[in-house]
Amino acid sequence: MRVIIGYGNELRGEDAFGVDTIKELQKLNLKNTKLLSMHQLTPEIVLKLLDADEIIFIDASYDEKNHYALACSLTEQNNLNLSHHISPKTIIHILKSLYKNVPSFFVYSMISKSFEKIEDQKRYKKCIDMLVKNLAPKEDKVILE
Amino acid sequence: MQKKTIVIDPVTRIEGHAKITIDINENNEVEDAKIHVTQYRGFEKFCEGRPYTEMPALTARTCGICPVSHVVSATKAIDEILGVTPPKAGVNIRKIVNLAQMLQSHTLNFYHLSSPDFIYGFDAPQEDRNIFKMMQTHPQMARDGINLRAFGQKIIEDLAGKRIHPTGIIPGGASHKIEESTKEKILEEVPAMLKIAQSALEFFRENLHKFQEEIDYLGSFPSLFMAITNDEGTLEHYDGKLCFMDSEGNILKDNIEPRDYKEYIGEAVETFSYLKSPYYKPLGYPQGMYRVGALARVNIAKTCGTPIADKELIKFKALNDGKPVLNTFYYHYARLIEMIYAIEKIEELLKCDETMSDNVRSTSTVSYEKGVGCSEAPRGTLFHEYHVAKDGIITGVNLIIATGNNNLAMNAGVKQVAQRFVDPKNITDGALNRVEAVIRCFDPCLSCSTHALGIVSSSVEIRDHNKKVIQVIDRS
Repeated sequence: MRVIIGYGNELRGEDAFGVDTIKELQKLNLKNTKLLSMHQLTPEIVLKLLDADEIIFIDASYDEKNHYALACSLTEQNNLNLSHHISPKTIIHILKSLYKNVPSFFVYSMISKSFEKIEDQKRYKKCIDMLVKNLAPKEDKVILE
Repeated sequence: MQKKTIVIDPVTRIEGHAKITIDINENNEVEDAKIHVTQYRGFEKFCEGRPYTEMPALTARTCGICPVSHVVSATKAIDEILGVTPPKAGVNIRKIVNLAQMLQSHTLNFYHLSSPDFIYGFDAPQEDRNIFKMMQTHPQMARDGINLRAFGQKIIEDLAGKRIHPTGIIPGGASHKIEESTKEKILEEVPAMLKIAQSALEFFRENLHKFQEEIDYLGSFPSLFMAITNDEGTLEHYDGKLCFMDSEGNILKDNIEPRDYKEYIGEAVETFSYLKSPYYKPLGYPQGMYRVGALARVNIAKTCGTPIADKELIKFKALNDGKPVLNTFYYHYARLIEMIYAIEKIEELLKCDETMSDNVRSTSTVSYEKGVGCSEAPRGTLFHEYHVAKDGIITGVNLIIATGNNNLAMNAGVKQVAQRFVDPKNITDGALNRVEAVIRCFDPCLSCSTHALGIVSSSVEIRDHNKKVIQVIDRS
């Protein structure tokens, strides 16, 4: 089963990219796909990922350059400083070491320099649409059309 | 020998951002040590001008780990402003959600932040003192931590709408009743969760003999204790009167209405930290230093009021022959007792018929210009005080955050542990870890306490007596 996790804070402008993308994906009724929307990644969400063979994380990441670029970023914060929220890589590590599940995974991150508001609605929406198009299999899209 | 200062910046495995400075005198001895909280967001100020109805949602944003506490205190303050008494079901729902948060928060501290020290020791290599190593060597314990946290978080989600920043706790009570199916699902899990919590406490107790020096010197000193208590004197987290106890177990003052807190609690401001330093007014500053949180609560409570936790409380109180336990290290012990209590109490409240009533909310309009909401957060007593105009617009806010109450005690603990373990001629990683560990005992939530959000990394700076940095040690 594929699990798509969108996470971010809807009160912080473009940080909501992951959550807003999940809202669009929910309209597609994707087969064999579980959609999860959350504020932040926390250790216990691994219990919802035990059957996953593929996990896709959708997030926004801050950078002054390349605003509205879609990137795959695995830049990891310090593992030793685990707190109440954790990174995709840590989630995968927990799944592997504690539950013997080794899913493939991808991280889609929209680069943003605005966590105060959505600066350009059109470009923000275009990023969501591009990612939704990328994540929805053709046969599912045909059904919808 | 020149005076110099060691700086641990930031402190690791805590919630939020802080640094510690250790001052070395001319004789090459630790002279002083302080914790500096270096964040600021100013919630008290920007809440002014907002409608009172927004306060639970706004103040919940103070924190991602204990938003329930802020929502509970905020709604209680608004209850006072509205002049409403929530129905029993609404109160019980709030209590259950508050206990569920207590459970998941304490679980996070024990399993994810502190247990690496208990398993591998304070002098173990830094790369081993983390949850990843624990997952390799103690996988079942790591899974237990995940299961226990998931249990608490699911209760919050089911009863209050969302795990983080829940919306179901509202002025006048709760937004919706508990469904029978939800109740049954939670109750089904209780035995397994109790078993996990008990095994965690057993593990901690079995390993205590390895840490006698830490027990004796990681913040072991006399202080006052403050917590809210109920009429029966049992462990209480939701409602009651304030009580101050001294280090001998004498009650200095009890039956204090939370709305009168300012008569007894002063807030000092120091230039080295954004975190204010509350103190017990009758003794003055800084002599009025007190501790809050799990250790204070179990010291003040006569019983827990639930069977298993009560047995554990008897063993705990025997540590100091019935007098208050003064060792900060035992915050961990107290939190483990509270974890057991929380599960038992959640079960008890769910089985109470009144909890399942359809009547979960009372309504009213602004009736009073001031309201004070007080509850026990995972880290201690939390106060929200709001002033409103007749049109319901907030005109003033004062928040005393649980962690802030412990500021003086945290500083005393840091100084004691630095003087005991830090050798300025040979500064070891184990010594610096112990300096941080005394802070972790308090389980501070610094984002909450200054109402700010920070990042975590790690370095140590050594400064001379002019505060000039002369050495930096990377601890990340």
